[in-house]
Amino acid sequence: MEDLAEAVIGHALSLGAEFADLRIETISGVNILVMDGKTKTVTARIEKGCGVRSFVGGGWGFAVCNGLELSELKTAAEISVRLAKVSREKAKLSFKIESTKPIRKTIEYPCRTAPSTVAVADKLSFVLGLDKSMSAHDERIVSRSASYDDFEGDRIVANSFGTLVKTRETWTLASCSAWGKSDGIVQRGHEAVGNVGGFELMHTDAAARCGEEAAELAIRLLDSKPVPAGKFTCVLDNKMTGLLAHEAFGHACEADAILAGASVLEGMEGKAVAHEDVTLVDDPTVSETFGFFPYDWEGVKSTKHVLIQDGVLNEFMHNLETSSRMGRPPNGAARADSYASPPIVRMSNTYISPGNAKKDELIGDLKEGLLIKGGQYGYVEPAKGQFMFKCDEAYQIKDGVVGQRYRDAILTGLIQEVLKDVTGIADDFELIDPGYCGKSGQDARTTDGGPHIRVENVVVGGLT
Amino acid sequence: MTEKSELAEEVVELVARLGGRTCDVLVADARVTTAEVEKSSIKQANFLADPGIAIRVFENGSSGFVYCTSQIAAEVNKAAELAVSQARAGIPDADFKGLPEPVPLVAVDGLYDPKVAALRPEEAVDLLLLLVDEASADDRISSVNAGLTVSTGEVALANSNGLVATQKMTSFDVFAEAVARSGDLMFSGMDYASSRKLNPDSPLTVGRSAKEHAVKGLKHVKAQTGDYPVVLDPLAAGYILSTAIGGGANAENIQRKRSYLAGRLGTVVGSENLSIYDDPTLEWAIGSTSFDGEGVGPRRKAVIDKGVLKTYLYDSYTAGKDSVESTGNSSRGGAIWSYRHPPVISFANLVVQSGDASLDEMIEDCDKGVYLRVTFDSPNLATGEFSCLMMESYAIEDGDIGPAIRQSTMGISLLDMFSKIDLIGSSPRHAFGVETPALRISSAKIGGSG
Repeated sequence: MEDLAEAVIGHALSLGAEFADLRIETISGVNILVMDGKTKTVTARIEKGCGVRSFVGGGWGFAVCNGLELSELKTAAEISVRLAKVSREKAKLSFKIESTKPIRKTIEYPCRTAPSTVAVADKLSFVLGLDKSMSAHDERIVSRSASYDDFEGDRIVANSFGTLVKTRETWTLASCSAWGKSDGIVQRGHEAVGNVGGFELMHTDAAARCGEEAAELAIRLLDSKPVPAGKFTCVLDNKMTGLLAHEAFGHACEADAILAGASVLEGMEGKAVAHEDVTLVDDPTVSETFGFFPYDWEGVKSTKHVLIQDGVLNEFMHNLETSSRMGRPPNGAARADSYASPPIVRMSNTYISPGNAKKDELIGDLKEGLLIKGGQYGYVEPAKGQFMFKCDEAYQIKDGVVGQRYRDAILTGLIQEVLKDVTGIADDFELIDPGYCGKSGQDARTTDGGPHIRVENVVVGGLT
Repeated sequence: MTEKSELAEEVVELVARLGGRTCDVLVADARVTTAEVEKSSIKQANFLADPGIAIRVFENGSSGFVYCTSQIAAEVNKAAELAVSQARAGIPDADFKGLPEPVPLVAVDGLYDPKVAALRPEEAVDLLLLLVDEASADDRISSVNAGLTVSTGEVALANSNGLVATQKMTSFDVFAEAVARSGDLMFSGMDYASSRKLNPDSPLTVGRSAKEHAVKGLKHVKAQTGDYPVVLDPLAAGYILSTAIGGGANAENIQRKRSYLAGRLGTVVGSENLSIYDDPTLEWAIGSTSFDGEGVGPRRKAVIDKGVLKTYLYDSYTAGKDSVESTGNSSRGGAIWSYRHPPVISFANLVVQSGDASLDEMIEDCDKGVYLRVTFDSPNLATGEFSCLMMESYAIEDGDIGPAIRQSTMGISLLDMFSKIDLIGSSPRHAFGVETPALRISSAKIGGSG
């Protein structure tokens, strides 16, 4: 396969590419979805293909084929060079991809029990167990979904600088949703457990508790009220702090957004963008996390990205192109969701570093505010500088005491202001929230986290 | 018969030889060309060839689904064996009553535009540059990021009841984000257009709209928390309704008691002036199709008629469970079908029946109100409660649309929202699969930073 990769890269260069790379992948995976005690679907994927990318002057061409015959890959290379030339012909910008030291490496993600060695019946038994744990939790649970996903992929990343990185990637993910009903009110709880690794991760306590925690949340929310709208001081739990780090700041630090002139952080490197106690990090090197990867999808060794250091904007996340154009060393943030997509700048494990305060102090000091727990989703437009994220549950805080439970709160803010309004960072750090981040139609596995933090002037959306 | 339909039938026969008595097979081939602009300069062109096969087998109601990116016999065999074994591994489900029987299908007009299929990358780039020129035509625009995607798909669907159906589809999609700057102020405007037909004017329209909204947003104010009338731009209305109706009326969510619309069939769920249809026969609309993801013919149906909920959206499984006919709402995803996911329930094209109110009439009697153009939030389908970031919104003051509102939210329950629609616009557009005009809600809770 290495010879195939090098032959195709050579072919692209011979046709006029100044730089070329490719990703050859073979992928298998299983998804099991159980709804209300019955299998909805047992799905398997069998994929193999190649994405070839060529660069000429300031234009890229990218072509994909579903096959691994030399002739198919050569045709893809030819199309990619032709498209790069079409782009270059009309491009206003001209730049180069700076050469990097070639890397030759074979990587295998940690995995004790390869999912492909586990019988579907055993995987199904695990998912049915999650389903039963939800139904057994409380008779008010009226509907359940439990799912399991695994992925095993062999990927070759090769480029015309001589890099050739072979990666065997394995990850597994379980997730549960439970719907509780009481007095005509229906509420949903959700929990997920995911990590790089094999089926052994489904034997952990966290995986076993996944269903119960989803059911418990659904039941807790049954006596909640819609959250009031307005501006509040909020204490965010570990998951919500992670979602804030990801949505409020992480996306705006992706260097492709900077070069696109579509981030309010353009030109802000070295300037204060947060309270001096805030350090915000994206780190794909944290092992045993869902966002882990040792080499990125351009074959660059991944590194810890300290985006904000003590309140000052420190660096952006780069791929080969953005690092070349911005005169920075590549820092391994290029990811593609499969061979069929070109690599783009992405986050991995994003968090705010712990402080010295105690969680109880953040709440106890507060005369009036909200405690926000559990992240559902969020999104941001870095060019508008606005973001939002939605929690699972919120609680009224009055005179330092946690009271009334609320639901469906969304929190909104401005990228350039929200982290300046941080007034307390606890010491209870956790990196615990696995999920998928979407960008340009591609999904990337990520983890978010941090300690409890307190933020002023958060606009909360609610119904009352 | 086409090569693809013959292959689909062969795989159905293969599954039968392996013991799979009930199955459907999708053979799909998509060709996608994309051109991308970054900071007003052509940056990249992509080409994707994506042939593949999806095999779904049922055994006592339990379903196994396998897809493969290869059409090589050995690999298709492996996929078929896996699908059969996975179906057998599952839990029997007596609610599954069977796959659709073959019926004569009438091809829907406006699914395939040869001009889209014939568009060369160079021509796609030139069309995209027209957009860039239009979007850049203001000194305050500092960057235009945009994309143009041309897709062609051909699918063949066959099942174990003898159903065989084929169709070709095209899609022409344009997107733009224009960024405006003035001093320290920065704002972006976006728009997009999506059709099965090549529309050479859409890059200009989209570019102009993105530019105008970017510039318009440079002036902004803070909102005070309170209750205000809200006019939903078709972009916002389409996005909200795609989940509120698409997910809310999904029979799976209804049967599993996960939707706020459960138990409300035949009851009033909105104001009398609100009627919403699902129409897979709309010419050139991206959700149009001659048959659904399981081979059921296209059916236009009222989901909400004059405020009354008339039907849920069914596929064959949920229809069998409720002992009704499928409404033809099994979806294989997207304008150009995908073989990579099992079919799910989805609307084809939702259509909100237009009213006769002009935009001026909708805002002229608002002393203080909000015009919401862009949000990307989804409602809580279980409760029917909806709160969103107003990503792009404008203050309505004394009957005029004024400056943009920053960092503010809207909250309302969906049933409340439907019942408070007091004016419906007369100029519909397609937005996120929904053809809708602007809608005015008489009152919603706005959370502001002022």
